[in-house]
Amino acid sequence: MNSNQEIVSLKNVVKNYGSGQVAIKALQDIDLKIYKGDFSVMMGPSGCGKSTLLNIIGGLDRVTSGSVIFNGKDFNLLTNKELSLIRRNEIGFVFQNYNLLPVLTAYENAEYVLMLQNIPISQRKEKVMNLFKEMDLEGLENRLPRELSGGQQQRVAIARAVVSNPLLVLADEITANVDSKTAQSLLTLMEKLNKTNNTTFLFSTHDPIVKNFARKVILLKDGLIDKEEQASKNI
Amino acid sequence: MSAKLLLLIIKISWLSLWRNKRRTFISLFSIIIGTGIPIFFVCIAWGFYAGLIDDVARLMSGHITYEHKDYRNSPSNDLWVGDTIKINNTLTNNDNILFTKQIVNLQGVAHTAKGSVGISLMGIEPKKEIAISFLPENIIEGKYLSKVDERLVVVGEKLAKNLNIAIGKKFVFTTNDINGELTEELFRVKGIFKTGSKEIDGHLIQSNIAIARKVAGLSNDEISQLGIIVKNPDEHEVLIDELQKSLAKNNGIFLSWQKIMPDVATTIRMDRTAITFFMIMLVVIVLFTMFSTILMSTLERKREFASLLAIGTQQIELKVQIFFETIFFGLIGCPLGALVGVGVAKWTEGYDMLNVVGGKSEDMSVGGFGMDTVITPLFSAPLIMQICFFFFLAVQLLSFFPIHLISKISITDELRSA
Repeated sequence: MNSNQEIVSLKNVVKNYGSGQVAIKALQDIDLKIYKGDFSVMMGPSGCGKSTLLNIIGGLDRVTSGSVIFNGKDFNLLTNKELSLIRRNEIGFVFQNYNLLPVLTAYENAEYVLMLQNIPISQRKEKVMNLFKEMDLEGLENRLPRELSGGQQQRVAIARAVVSNPLLVLADEITANVDSKTAQSLLTLMEKLNKTNNTTFLFSTHDPIVKNFARKVILLKDGLIDKEEQASKNI
Repeated sequence: MSAKLLLLIIKISWLSLWRNKRRTFISLFSIIIGTGIPIFFVCIAWGFYAGLIDDVARLMSGHITYEHKDYRNSPSNDLWVGDTIKINNTLTNNDNILFTKQIVNLQGVAHTAKGSVGISLMGIEPKKEIAISFLPENIIEGKYLSKVDERLVVVGEKLAKNLNIAIGKKFVFTTNDINGELTEELFRVKGIFKTGSKEIDGHLIQSNIAIARKVAGLSNDEISQLGIIVKNPDEHEVLIDELQKSLAKNNGIFLSWQKIMPDVATTIRMDRTAITFFMIMLVVIVLFTMFSTILMSTLERKREFASLLAIGTQQIELKVQIFFETIFFGLIGCPLGALVGVGVAKWTEGYDMLNVVGGKSEDMSVGGFGMDTVITPLFSAPLIMQICFFFFLAVQLLSFFPIHLISKISITDELRSA
């Protein structure tokens, strides 16, 4: 499914926390490219730098050195506000703890990003309802997050992430809080979105189930890319 | 930010208020207390002041007094104003004026077999005095004056005791006329009054204005003071300027009650300052409670804010959300506080404060004038709205620090802490 359209390009990325003698090297000299339509997973032991790398690709964190080019834009040259607008318009996030707004219904949570993008109401409704249908969330539109199961909440979170057709969806440990059956169904759903809409996904996970769905696996170790391999199911 | 998004943010603000109902109710309770108590105190205290000012103005020389320009410095019998019939007629046609009262004041000495006491004889028009002043209602023995009573007077209870005189008894009043000549007049007591003020009950005598004029040697067109009772005492300063320009003669001046009775004005001003200071202290304490709850509510949602920032929400949008939360607190709490303050003040209406503080009504005086101890609240809409607005504004200011904290949120740190 992936094309040659380069969405993310990381070159010599270094990320240190702290400075001087006590500096912690979270990422060292990372070179990475993500292409349109990728369904990739980053794996590695705790503290290897998966989340840091995900945050940097998502424009949530800045590099110590090196460059991050997202859809032709150099993150180093952008202000925080410009980064925020890129996150709003071009990147979707799915978090381990769902992080839905507890006071909004499932529908409103998914609609929120479209409202940030100032999409007209008729289009918003169409997009959200179509997605809910596709994601088997029909009938749950008016429920608050606390009235949904963990799997349903995560599906709403995925809907929120993909509803605006972002260039890239970043998913951080999204199966950590759900059982394996739910994890399986979530990944099936995301794989379907990847195939039908050509949405690009990048996962950060410990979960081997996620690896089974990935077409590219990036193995991290001690802040370095240890190995980058195409997954066997797609080879 | 689009209007739709703003509406959504407002909706989120409103719904966020009710996520922790107990905390929201505590916050609202703080605002209700913070607004309600000052409003209650202001209604009660300002009611006392308004009642006192009105009573004193009606008993003495009005909210505005026309008198000789030197009378304030030395209130002697020879400082009088003339042409008062014409002035009085003009004043009675003024829509802002309720009543006018002509007064002849004479300082002198009352003699009886028991001894002599320095007194103030106040010549008044009995019919008007009955309509204007509370003194005629406070006759405890005998009767109040009428127009035909030539040499009859009403005296204060304490003065009657000091002179050892009773109803029907006589005394001699000695004074100087306007030419400085010593003059005497015999008076008979028709009534004894008790106002509760030691100064008035111990030194004041009222007689018909005609006999007072005669003793002083004044003509029908001449008096010591012309008292003016206005419809709206709060706006009397404007009227004074107008009257001074249009009616005052060379030696006459229109003065406010504050200048005529500076002791009362100063006491009220000091009392108001003390109450205002007390209220500000109370408000500060209440605001601290509010501040901690608003801050707590922001701090405990840092992760939620971080995730919203992560998905592209701008800081300004989150700041607007918090700002609206405090606006809702203010919009609900301040009117409720005003209702509670006004309600409690209304509930206490007619209650005698002496039941709480003890003592005798005659001990309650301000600037030498007796104070009505029965609660008569003053419900001034502008004043109540001012207090509400002040508290509303203070609550909004409290949100500035939590709003500032939004700028300090580290998205990655907060998401990592999850």
